[in-house]
Amino acid sequence: MSAVGIAKQVEFHGESLSILRSASLTLYEGESVAIVGASGSGKSTLLSLLAGLDHPSAGEVALFGQSLTRLSEDDRARLRRDKVGFVFQNFQLMPQLTALENVMLPLELAGRRDAREAARAMLERVGLGQRLQHYPRHLSGGEQQRVALARAFVIEPLLLFADEPTGNLDPATGRQIIDLLFQLNAEQGTALVLVTHDAELAGRCDAIYRLVDGKLNGAGR
Amino acid sequence: MTFWGRCLLAWRFTRRELVAGELTVLGLALLVAVAAMSSVAFFSDRVERALTDHASQLLAADLVLNSPEPAPAAIRAEAQRRGLTQAENISFPSMVFANGQAALATYKAVSDNYPLRGEISVRLAEGGVMSGALHPLPGTAWADARLISRLKLKLGDALEVGNTRLTLAGEILREPDGTLDLYNFVPRLMFNRADLAATGLVQPGSRLRWRLMLAGDSAAVAGFRVWLEPQLKSGMRLESVEEARPEIRTALERARRFLGLTAMLTVALAAAAVGMAVRRYLARHWQPVAVLRCLGLSANEVWGLFAGLFLLLGLLAGGLGTLAGYALQSGLMQLAQQWVGGLLPAPGRLPWLSGPLSALVLLLGLALPPLLSLRQVPPLAVLRDELRPSPPGRLAPLAAVAALLALTAWQVGDLTLAGWLFGGLAGFLAAVGLVAFVAVWLMRRLPTGVGVGWRFGIANMARRPWLAVIQIVALSVGLMALLTLTVVRGDLIAAWQQSVPADAPNKFAINIQPAQIEPFRGSFVGHALPAPELSPMVRARLTAINGHPVRPSSYASEQAQRLAEREFNLSWRAALPTGNRVSAGQWWGERAKPQFSVEQGLAETLGIRLGNSLTFTIGGTPYEARVTSLRKVSWDSFRVNFFVVAPPAWFADQPASYITSFRLAPADEDFVNQLVAQFPNVTVIDVSAILAEVRAMVDQLSRAVEALFVLALAAGVLVLWAALASTRDERLFDVGLMRALGASRRQVRSVVLAELMWLGALTGLMAALGATAIGAIAAVKLFNLPLFVNPWLLPLGVISGMLVVGLAGWPLVRRVTRSAPAAVLRAL
Repeated sequence: MSAVGIAKQVEFHGESLSILRSASLTLYEGESVAIVGASGSGKSTLLSLLAGLDHPSAGEVALFGQSLTRLSEDDRARLRRDKVGFVFQNFQLMPQLTALENVMLPLELAGRRDAREAARAMLERVGLGQRLQHYPRHLSGGEQQRVALARAFVIEPLLLFADEPTGNLDPATGRQIIDLLFQLNAEQGTALVLVTHDAELAGRCDAIYRLVDGKLNGAGR
Repeated sequence: MTFWGRCLLAWRFTRRELVAGELTVLGLALLVAVAAMSSVAFFSDRVERALTDHASQLLAADLVLNSPEPAPAAIRAEAQRRGLTQAENISFPSMVFANGQAALATYKAVSDNYPLRGEISVRLAEGGVMSGALHPLPGTAWADARLISRLKLKLGDALEVGNTRLTLAGEILREPDGTLDLYNFVPRLMFNRADLAATGLVQPGSRLRWRLMLAGDSAAVAGFRVWLEPQLKSGMRLESVEEARPEIRTALERARRFLGLTAMLTVALAAAAVGMAVRRYLARHWQPVAVLRCLGLSANEVWGLFAGLFLLLGLLAGGLGTLAGYALQSGLMQLAQQWVGGLLPAPGRLPWLSGPLSALVLLLGLALPPLLSLRQVPPLAVLRDELRPSPPGRLAPLAAVAALLALTAWQVGDLTLAGWLFGGLAGFLAAVGLVAFVAVWLMRRLPTGVGVGWRFGIANMARRPWLAVIQIVALSVGLMALLTLTVVRGDLIAAWQQSVPADAPNKFAINIQPAQIEPFRGSFVGHALPAPELSPMVRARLTAINGHPVRPSSYASEQAQRLAEREFNLSWRAALPTGNRVSAGQWWGERAKPQFSVEQGLAETLGIRLGNSLTFTIGGTPYEARVTSLRKVSWDSFRVNFFVVAPPAWFADQPASYITSFRLAPADEDFVNQLVAQFPNVTVIDVSAILAEVRAMVDQLSRAVEALFVLALAAGVLVLWAALASTRDERLFDVGLMRALGASRRQVRSVVLAELMWLGALTGLMAALGATAIGAIAAVKLFNLPLFVNPWLLPLGVISGMLVVGLAGWPLVRRVTRSAPAAVLRAL
């Protein structure tokens, strides 16, 4: 993944507001980076631009050698579907689907016929083999984030975006989730972009970037 | 803040919110409810005015003596002595012959000072339209538009009326004393009383109704009435302004109740949309309320601001809805037109006010309780999310029920009746809701492995089963009614027509005189047609059963009362009529002694048993005998059938006329014209023409009512919109997440569409099942047909349900699929 000079401005009541001024970042296969910054510093905006969920006002993002700006919305979606996983702070599970169905979802979107079996295996891998038919509202926070991890890793992504994955969990559960995340990451050789304000967590990554005043400052590898 | 300052702020708020579309569903729901209510209010008001202010016009007199014979001279003399003006009209069905064609018409021979009250409107040969107390001059006749079109007449044409010839001098546009009976289907021909004798149509057995019309000052009329009442003989009936045509009043009262109930159905559905829209609006606005509190507005001022906003919205929607209701009632007026003869005064002031008022009542019941909860919002809620107001408690459903009950009571003008109607409506909706709930519940158990769209559709509905049930009920009720009015109605009429055997007679000839029997049969033979069997009949009145006098008042049912009052056609014959079956007792043999055979249904209605002794009075002479058999008669066979039959020769000395039925192929249609030309007094009734008239009238009535059910469907669509709006955020979240996970636009669209299609399919299924049930009940109970089900109704219902929901929900599909995934996630 490479991002060169990306910026994001939004119109707000007729005034232009700069959220990101200039951010550049490169990430190689299997590598992990942490993006840290104060809340409101634009971490999540940067993440959504890197993942192709939003358009930058300037600059360019390329994933797996393909420039996102030149791809259509649906082509970007296809790229995400096949190669990118997400883990969110709020878990973002579909409340109307069971744990199993939530994990099946990305596989089904990709038209995989073995969706059910693959999803079941993945949920067993994250320790939720007994919770397949539970709805998110019947799961604890830690369990919900495990389902989210299973959903992210079930497609064996080349790149994983994680946005404050422990933000809504107590410290003990958070640690378990992070251990699981790094385990899966290592197993699958996935590259990782981790947005967090937890310095200890950031320290487990290969590199740390700090977002200050809309600028991304590279830190030591 | 000053009062005007607050008003200004409220107005600015309302305007902004309207432009932003926050109040669209709420405003439209109010508008639809008001349109439904006020259209019926306009209808009732105009009809009521026609019946009260113009009652004497409906009668064309102050008092009418209606009898099968001319009024006795003593009665006329007494009326004259009391200073009452008199007029007379005589009506009966007969044939008109013109341009080589014959048609059945109801004749009305009117005396010189007809009408005593009210106006008649005629288009005259000279081209002008005249209104006033008019009547045709001797030698001329006026016809209504139906007769003119059927016989392809133009003004000035010669008409053969019995043995005489009259010139068509005018087209009747409106006549005050129209009739409400079978002959309503039959075109009208009016001519002068002076020409009646020359027609030669007044003969024994003719079905004449004499109406002696009287007018004068109210005391004289009342005094005469008191004098006349004890002198009334059987068969005579008084019609007065006070009663204001009871048959019309009953028919209109029924129509009004039915329309009122339909309107309330729409109002109840719209109320659901109002309630949902208000909740969503307030859920989205408690934060601005907190901000306003922070800026220094008191709880009361904030509340007043929003109350003002709702008040303005109610008045706006009420005003526009009233205009829509006024436009709609012109359709409903077609219902009333034929009963009050085009006499429809402009509506008064009250219906104009009822629209805005009912909008306010609805808002009071549905918006006030949640609105009150806004007062609890503290300024601190700006900072702390958990301080959002709790939803209104038990007060809310109570207030909603009270508002709907109040509107129902207003609609029907009677609280007890309103309670029953409201209960019935609520029960009906609850029953539909229960079935819908079971359907949603069953759907969750469908196999889930079919695809993302399929499963998402089901999962989204099952996620909020009650919301799905409300939407299904709201949409299916309107759709059910429309399916019933279109498909089921057509099916029923077609099935009924098919149930008539192919060789059933399609013509009746009545009023054949004894001397005409042989020539009449002869003309059939002359045309190589089979000579029909002629049955004699005399007009008789049932005066006693087992020696006890028969009085209408001694029967409870309306039908029995009518039968006890009317004259019967009595016939005599030796053999059991074709198509009749003796269900009890025995048919008589040759040279039987006097006895009666009675149709079983009539016997049941009037409480006549085998062995009872019946007394019939014919022309003043009583004939008494026992009932020796009961018969089952197939009325649908279109053969000549009689309620009561006796053996031959017993009352053969009474003046009888003959009746027959026969079948003519379309190619032989001209034979009727020759028959009528040869026997001018004979009336030929064309069954298919009457059926066509009935069908046209049913079509017209259902079209008038369809408009109201379209409103009910619109209210259902608004419930759908309100429900979709209330789940918009959740849906945007789903779609945003799916987009992030790599779903294409097409996949997202298919997921949203799948839910709408499931909803539509269930809606259509419910509507089709309901319409099928209504059709089945109507077939068995109303038309005496075997149970039948239209197999196309189910697919048609499901497809139309999917179409309605799909089209109504399409804006949502477009909206959610167009937005970028990150924007969708951020919008939350």
